[in-house]
Amino acid sequence: MSAGTQVHANLTEEQVREISGDLNEPDWLTETRLEALEALEELDMPDVIRTPGRDWTNLHDLDFESLVDPLNAAEDKDQVGPDEAEVLAWSDAVAEHEELLKEHFGSIVDPQENYLTALSTALFSTGTVIYVPEGVDAEDVTVRTEQNSRSLFNYTLVVTEESSSVTILERQSTGAEQDEQYYSGVVEVAAGENSYVQYGSLQNLSKEAYNFTVKRGVADTYATVDWIEGNLGTQLTKTEVSTTLSGDSSETQIVGAFYGHNDQHFDLDAKVWHRAEHTTADLVTRGVTDDVARSVYEGVQDVGADAWDTSSYQRENTLMLSDESEADASPKLIINNHDTEASHSATVGQIDAEDLFYMTSRGVDPRAARNMLVEGFFVPVLEEVDVDELRDDLEELIGARLRQRD
Amino acid sequence: MSSDQDHLQETDTEARFEFKKEENAAVRSGKGLTEEVIRMISEDKDEPDWMLERRLRALEQYHNMPMPSDWPGMPDLSELDVEEIIPYIRPDVDKREGVDDWTELPDEIKDTFDKLGIPEAEKNALSGVGAQYESEVVYQNMQEQWEEKGVIFCNMDEAVREHPELVKEHFMTTCVPPSDNKFAALHGAVWSGGSFVYVPEDVTVEMPVQAYFRMNSEGMGQFEHTLIIAEEGSEVHYIEGCSAPKYGTHNLHSGGVEVFVGEDAHVQYSTVQNWSKNTFNLNTKRAICEENGTMEWVSGSMGSKATMLYPCTILKGRGSTDTHITIAFAGEGQDIDTGAKVYHNAPETSSTIESKSISKDGGRTNYRGLVHIADGAENSSTAVECDALMFDNESTSDTMPYMEIEESKVDVAHEATVGKIGDEDIFYLQSRGLDDDDAKKMIVAGFIEPITEELPIEYAVELNRLIELEMEGSLG
Repeated sequence: MSAGTQVHANLTEEQVREISGDLNEPDWLTETRLEALEALEELDMPDVIRTPGRDWTNLHDLDFESLVDPLNAAEDKDQVGPDEAEVLAWSDAVAEHEELLKEHFGSIVDPQENYLTALSTALFSTGTVIYVPEGVDAEDVTVRTEQNSRSLFNYTLVVTEESSSVTILERQSTGAEQDEQYYSGVVEVAAGENSYVQYGSLQNLSKEAYNFTVKRGVADTYATVDWIEGNLGTQLTKTEVSTTLSGDSSETQIVGAFYGHNDQHFDLDAKVWHRAEHTTADLVTRGVTDDVARSVYEGVQDVGADAWDTSSYQRENTLMLSDESEADASPKLIINNHDTEASHSATVGQIDAEDLFYMTSRGVDPRAARNMLVEGFFVPVLEEVDVDELRDDLEELIGARLRQRD
Repeated sequence: MSSDQDHLQETDTEARFEFKKEENAAVRSGKGLTEEVIRMISEDKDEPDWMLERRLRALEQYHNMPMPSDWPGMPDLSELDVEEIIPYIRPDVDKREGVDDWTELPDEIKDTFDKLGIPEAEKNALSGVGAQYESEVVYQNMQEQWEEKGVIFCNMDEAVREHPELVKEHFMTTCVPPSDNKFAALHGAVWSGGSFVYVPEDVTVEMPVQAYFRMNSEGMGQFEHTLIIAEEGSEVHYIEGCSAPKYGTHNLHSGGVEVFVGEDAHVQYSTVQNWSKNTFNLNTKRAICEENGTMEWVSGSMGSKATMLYPCTILKGRGSTDTHITIAFAGEGQDIDTGAKVYHNAPETSSTIESKSISKDGGRTNYRGLVHIADGAENSSTAVECDALMFDNESTSDTMPYMEIEESKVDVAHEATVGKIGDEDIFYLQSRGLDDDDAKKMIVAGFIEPITEELPIEYAVELNRLIELEMEGSLG
């Protein structure tokens, strides 16, 4: 299906120029935005899995015409970090770091990769640039975004210089709720030699929101890019979290936790491209589906022909709490170098009846027993989270959602 | 087979499988797919009108369907020009429907099957044998004891005439309709030959029945249809083997297999696929399982240029079971894209998929599998295990499973590993006095053992030999 039909009649070059002008962007950025706008006509929606008789996610039915309101973006934002690192609002970064932006903006996530990345590039009005100089260890960088408008397009760039490290927590939530909202985020991470990035994200947008997010990192030699991805909000989420291991001995970990209830639909991709020697990847996702929620998971471990001595592991586990929920999973291995140790596994199931029986036989109330088992199910994922705030909040939100059930 | 192991010792693939015979056709269709060609095939077979109508309908569907193109990582079919394929060649034999005595066959055909070891196997290990040469079955025989019990094992063309009610009901209707995919539609239009197996209630056919499919002519397509109906409480094991000489142009094999597994029935379908490396092998195989029925697919894919084959089981009845065991071996220039498909449509159904693949010398294997558990299929379980072994860095090994779970009371597990042949394992075996080649062969034999042990001993031996043959070239 061509995306051409999606192009907004009400989306104009003038609007893009206005957004870019308000941010005092240099011409090359304005041009990049305009090119993305123009490309919309040609671009397709992001890939979704289709099997005979089944589309795992349907993005074509989304009415972008009414969802996108480019000139009325509104948000509350916190961008804080330690003094050693620079945590800048987009307009400040444009003023102070043009060369840095020129080097990295759009170099990791191609603005014209698909219709939604192009839309995001053309229209983003807010963003954060995190720059960590050589040798600096920066902890507790926090970026909070509260969406108060119909649509919000957000951009984040993280650049770590040699032997630096940074821990980032990003959160998205909704302030003023509307009947339908659209959040779009593009995150690019350029991890320099021997640097370390942990990027934690907690998405808890309103239940009426649609969310499209791409987070992608490139790890240089000896660098590590770790992602933590918590998804709780929205009615429909389509995300990709991915790392290209382009430097020898680089590593990545992608940890995901999700909990879908009501009629939520999560389409979550975790991908790694091994493109150098001695690289390691570990992908771990755990999630729960309840009520009539549906989860779709695609994991890809792609080992290039030059990626000698690769280690790559992937696990995905889904727990179904209700009979009406659905869980689709497709963990893929693409192996072009035989000097590889790779494995993946995926399971879908419900709470183990024997576990439940054991606990109730010890006098635990069945409801409490069930909640404890679900909380326990998330432990292997939560253990991987370094940032206390993120781990505590995830635990609390999961607990709260469980207690909401009868 | 055991009494004549000598021919199996031959290590030259060409001498064993890829030898060519002069083409000696009685009837040969034109190239391509036109209504005229379809009518000519049907007329040559003296078919009833209803079958001709089905063929023509399938032809129309074929023309209306696009070539598959949007599958991630699918084999390259761009060199396949269906319009250049000769869909129908009837070999020049005296008796249509196949003789039941090998000596009545023309020398070159008899010699072909002798070389392939079929008559020998028949004596030792089989209840019945069908042998197809080009588009027609030339030999068909079954031991009398089974005929007396009402078992039918005949060629498909004969079944259309002799058992029209059974065929009308089951042939490309509910199991594999031509609309299923483009190559099923193609098959529905030009199918020829193949086997019809009917096992009455509560009859157990103790030894396997086998069909062997041989393509001899350059540029032809073979489209045999296999229909197996196993009534309540019955049991049968069907084995198919196939091979062809190698040519510079492409051959096409697009078979159709439909299996109806009745209540409490048990069907095993084993395939040893050894098409020459200029053959496109694009098949549709499917089984429907009634209550407590069991379907077992055992597939070894060694040959072909490109294979796209995903045997499918629909677990329709409560308590039915599916087992898939598959080995893929891809050498130079081969793309073996195979796997399994299982639909759990009833409660208490279970499936087990075990896939082993080996790639070397630039070959590509891909496990592509779909497990669907429908809403309401309570207490169902599925376990998928894929292991891949890579010999060298020119080769590719992909794994693409898809799981669709609509029911919560289930147990779903998928696991896959990819690795190279371990240097330590080789070193260990070498230190015990084996040379490098033998060590590698032994490791591979161990790797595929879970599959060979599911086959009757004669076939397990055959499969091991085939793999040894495939390994000869690169290891020497």
